Amino acid sequence: MTDQASLERRYRRLLGWYPRAYRQENGPEILAVLMACAPDGQRRPGLAESADLIRSGLWMRLRPSVPRSARTVRAAVRLMYAGAVVSTVNLIILLAFIGYIRAYRAMLGHRLTAAQVSQLNTSFITLAVVSDLVPIALWLWMARENGQGRNWARSLSTVLFGLATLDLTGAFRTPVIRITVVPMLFGPTVPVLTWLAGLAAVWLLWRPASTAFFKPEGFTQAGHGVRSPSRIRSSSSRQPRHL
Amino acid sequence: MQEATFLILTALANGSQHGYGIITDVQEISGDRIRLRPGTLYTALDRLRADELIGVDREEIVDGRLRRYYRLTPAGIKRLGAEAARLRAHATAALTRLNLAAGTAP
Repeated sequence: MTDQASLERRYRRLLGWYPRAYRQENGPEILAVLMACAPDGQRRPGLAESADLIRSGLWMRLRPSVPRSARTVRAAVRLMYAGAVVSTVNLIILLAFIGYIRAYRAMLGHRLTAAQVSQLNTSFITLAVVSDLVPIALWLWMARENGQGRNWARSLSTVLFGLATLDLTGAFRTPVIRITVVPMLFGPTVPVLTWLAGLAAVWLLWRPASTAFFKPEGFTQAGHGVRSPSRIRSSSSRQPRHL
Repeated sequence: MQEATFLILTALANGSQHGYGIITDVQEISGDRIRLRPGTLYTALDRLRADELIGVDREEIVDGRLRRYYRLTPAGIKRLGAEAARLRAHATAALTRLNLAAGTAP
């Protein structure tokens, strides 16, 4: 294999860090630039160059790419990412408190009722952690799909927000999701904060200014010629969570 | 506006350029100080396209490789002009004050 072919193969592999739709659209062009920048005889990508491609590829996957002109959609996407951040912080706090909860149980175990003991066992804590991960995933997913201008995501966000509202008001509250210790410390702050973020996001998504950025015909599969200069992305809502 | 973004727009100010052309041009404009890496360049180009400050002018195949030429949009021209004016105002202020300081120094 010639030096050039071997270098090109390695560059192609690095371009795998980019999202597929972006790669299909821009891969050949970026590859041409990479090859043009490479000095004769280079066989493998440099370390800094590889790191730059990996970083850029990951960024393309993660970043919100709503055009600046779509202010309302950008704001909604940001709120959704903020919701994910708050939920993540909440999860970290829960994890930090697991040790405390266990100690509490050891100390007071003999005074707890059977129901309270069952709330503090490992499977319960696991359930609480998982029930924290779901809203985080929903926030991120909705932020991504709305950010790409998918109309179904806007509707789904609204439905999720409705569910979150019911959840917040206690309609879906199952006794199993109450940890006695942690809510005492934090109260309803986090669920209310994330609910407010969801409310604002949904409101923004349905503003007339946002509607222009949602493709009415639904999502068109990314393919030849479909690439719009702005890969629009917006956000969605998610549910508040509680410990 | 980040310096790299400013330089990319500047590279496109007097005509369309393809990716590699932008890299070499930015290097020249910055006096060899800034050499954009392709990943960084395309991240910036993608954002500028999304913001509709630049657009695709045309595509060519040269030696079997795709070249896409970019150009400033009217919004891009306006934005670059405003940013350049802002930088000039700041530079002028800095130079003016330095000169004053030099004038009063012993």
